Amino acid sequence: MRKTMLGFAGLTLLLTAAPAWVGAADSAVAAGNPNAATSDEVVTKVHEAVQYLKDKGLAGFSDFNNNKDARWVWKDSYVFVYSCRDNVMIAHPLRPDMVGKPILQMKDDKDHLLFQDMCKAGANADGGWVEYWWPKPGEAKSSRKISYIHSAEVSFKPDIQVGAGIYDDTTTVDALNQRAAQVKQPKKDAP
Amino acid sequence: MSEVKLGNPAVVGLGGFGLTTLVLQFHNVGWMPSIGPVVWLGLVFGGLAQMIAGLQEQKTGNNFGYCAFTCYGAFWIALALMLLGNKFDVYKAGTEDVGWFLVAWTLFTVILWIGSLRIHGAMAFTFTTLLIGFILLDLAHFGYPGLTVVAGYELMICALAAWYMMARIILNELYGRELLPAGKPWVS
Repeated sequence: MRKTMLGFAGLTLLLTAAPAWVGAADSAVAAGNPNAATSDEVVTKVHEAVQYLKDKGLAGFSDFNNNKDARWVWKDSYVFVYSCRDNVMIAHPLRPDMVGKPILQMKDDKDHLLFQDMCKAGANADGGWVEYWWPKPGEAKSSRKISYIHSAEVSFKPDIQVGAGIYDDTTTVDALNQRAAQVKQPKKDAP
Repeated sequence: MSEVKLGNPAVVGLGGFGLTTLVLQFHNVGWMPSIGPVVWLGLVFGGLAQMIAGLQEQKTGNNFGYCAFTCYGAFWIALALMLLGNKFDVYKAGTEDVGWFLVAWTLFTVILWIGSLRIHGAMAFTFTTLLIGFILLDLAHFGYPGLTVVAGYELMICALAAWYMMARIILNELYGRELLPAGKPWVS
């Protein structure tokens, strides 16, 4: 915020036309970046992915591995699929290098074994939120990320978990877990 | 014609049943990440070859073998086509749909299991493990996905038991003695 204010002041001094634009950008951050995925979107997408895998089975995994399909990649978020028991990343639309690789020993920039936390959260019947540090799409530096994890039932493939996250500096895992319980969709399709 | 020695089609039927069952379990327990080999083996070995063996059993007058090999051959072909159907978005079968498919095969297996108890110990053991495996897979598709792994190890025993019967037909003949016994029927 301080940086933004400094930038604001500097730009006001230097340019006469710029202040209106900077002010708009600042308010966008304050009111929520329109290009940032929301927690509700993440929960909806994860439940949609769980249902998709339940309907399509093993053959559905590959559909999560392309970033051209806007269904599983949107704004600054995306759905990823992995197995804790098999210790493997099954699908990650933005990091094909991670697909097929072990995940449980992976650490984030704060030395957290992030996937071990995710495996625990995903083991809950209603899923759960996990906080860790991960780069935003297209960035090298890690940001605080909170992901919603839910298990998926797939024929002949036990222990599949699906996740997607938001980049956020303030929201707490507890607040999101309560919210997730509220927006949880019914498991069954409508008749 | 009567003096011409005929091969026993069961050696191919048991071979295809055992091998395809085994490879599916390699996938179910997580050793083999892809389902690919199961699809192709299911079509060719567990499916086509076992089915042909089953049709050959018909001529031997063995109704049990005729039914078991032909029908489980059809099971593998149906399963492989179902997996392919999901891949190509043709009549997709979701987890519960596959579950109901397996429930029907479980009921079918109960009938053959009752028959197997009167054949010999090895057959009774193979069908008992097969039936338990089907029940575990049923449960795995209706809310207990973790049981897929239990079913995986359990059905590996079933597959090896089928191979034991294949081995005893081939090896007992070649060695000219009861190298591998069949065991007494569980029900006489």
